[in-house]
Amino acid sequence: MYKSYHAWFFLLPALVLLLVFNFIPAIWVILLSFMEYNVIQPMEWVGLANYIRLANDAEFWNALKNTLYYWFLVTPALVIIPIFVAVLVNQKLVGIKFFRLTIYFPFLVSVVVTAIMWGWMLRSDGVINYALSLLNLEPVSWLTKKSTAMPSLAMITIWQGIGYYMLIYLGGLQAIPNELYESAELDGAGFLRKQWHITFPMLRPVIFFVAVVSTMAAFKEFTLMLVMTEGGPLGATQTVVYLIFEKAFRSLDMGYASAIATVLFVIILALTILNRRFLDRETS
Amino acid sequence: MFGTVNHRRAKTLYRRYGTKVVSYALLILLSLVMIVPFLWTLSTSLKGADEAIFSFPPKFIPEHLTFENYKAVWKTLPIPLYLRNSLILTFFGVLFPVFFSSLAAFPLARMEFKGRRFIFVLVIATMIIPVEVTMIPIYLILNKLGLIGTYAGVILPNAVSTFGIFLMRQAFLSIPREIEESAFIDGANVWQIWWKIMLPMVRPMMATLAILSFIASWNNFLWPLLLLDDSNMYPLTLGLYKLQGVFVSNMRYIAAGSIIALIPIMIVFISLQRYFAETAFSSSIKG
Repeated sequence: MYKSYHAWFFLLPALVLLLVFNFIPAIWVILLSFMEYNVIQPMEWVGLANYIRLANDAEFWNALKNTLYYWFLVTPALVIIPIFVAVLVNQKLVGIKFFRLTIYFPFLVSVVVTAIMWGWMLRSDGVINYALSLLNLEPVSWLTKKSTAMPSLAMITIWQGIGYYMLIYLGGLQAIPNELYESAELDGAGFLRKQWHITFPMLRPVIFFVAVVSTMAAFKEFTLMLVMTEGGPLGATQTVVYLIFEKAFRSLDMGYASAIATVLFVIILALTILNRRFLDRETS
Repeated sequence: MFGTVNHRRAKTLYRRYGTKVVSYALLILLSLVMIVPFLWTLSTSLKGADEAIFSFPPKFIPEHLTFENYKAVWKTLPIPLYLRNSLILTFFGVLFPVFFSSLAAFPLARMEFKGRRFIFVLVIATMIIPVEVTMIPIYLILNKLGLIGTYAGVILPNAVSTFGIFLMRQAFLSIPREIEESAFIDGANVWQIWWKIMLPMVRPMMATLAILSFIASWNNFLWPLLLLDDSNMYPLTLGLYKLQGVFVSNMRYIAAGSIIALIPIMIVFISLQRYFAETAFSSSIKG
């Protein structure tokens, strides 16, 4: 029926695009990390110079530290909170669909609008500080103070991500056979015991999946930092990808930026392999 | 005695309604946390020039509700232009990934040919290459192709989605063999089989992919930011970002612009909500 040239005809446009915008860039970024290139002058091979510079660059280590801090603030919260939310919205209640949609909606909002909205919420005379004042707490200038800037951005990320991970967990919850809960009920298990002994163990693969996905997302984040704090104050929200962006497109230090990108690439690859290993073990 | 009876009644009452009351309380609280930023922005966009935006306590309901900001934004700021640009970019940002992914997934699912496994593994492998890593070479390639400052440059890096190919392949795999066999017997050619028989059968998955692409391109910020210099070409996201810097003083306008940017997302979300659960579930296969 089908000839093999048919297959290649259908595949061709996608393959060309993947080649030009995925494969070649993935190889080129590694090559570029051994070069010096500022777009104007021709590329120059510099060996490991970029990596040596990287190892001694306080800015890079600061960015890595900030990224880990952001990850530490965001990922545990996004692994744990949505489980409870999913259990909550998995009940048969009137209007539950409306609640699911409302909780999910922030995930669809662009980073620019999110930044605008939260910028106002977090102002020193904004709504958040008003809520604090009701509790007799002093107002905080969330985004311009070094100690609160990153936690504020993490809070926004959590706000935005809860609904997405909630839906993923909901899929996991709905795959748990109901008989397990019913037999536990016969044994006299209450709501919380059922969650602890059935829901959590059964959700384990999903929990791991969410942990990996949110970890990768945390390592790749930079637009939120770009539009809300520009990496500031005093570099407190400068993440690894933000540094790549800044070095490449503001300082035109393409080679050095590529070295940072290559390091990030290795981290992402390691996480992906870890994920695969775990999934293989779970399914076998 | 009465005490125990009442106690027992209270317990059954709690069993029946208690968890419900607690659940609703938590759900309402959570939903409020989710929508307060939107409500605040909406409220700001409806406040007149003489009304303070930031007051203690904050006023969520404007004293004099007015649409003046929307009119002003529409007339004095390039919001209609940005909106048009966003629509153009989003049109291609939906069309291309859906079209190219549906094309490429068809042979991967339905045809036997040499190198099929290799190509499929290759496609899956690209899923782990994040754009944050490759944005520098992509920029340099676009530069070589002379696409800096063009919509083609903004559209092309996302014109095919590996995840989309993966999704569409899943959909094509579920179609029974007999259907295309009988079509072949009826004398249909490969193109007709794809276009007239296969595509109509995978429409739900195409819709899912279209929605994912719509959200992604409507919110696309990175490529417009890196590639577009001419402010007449800005889409709404980039335009708002730049305006926000200029109009720090007039937050009512920025609020109105933000609400305008949210409307298409809300329309798509509300009218196609049944697909969204699927998109989340299916993207959970992605890892």
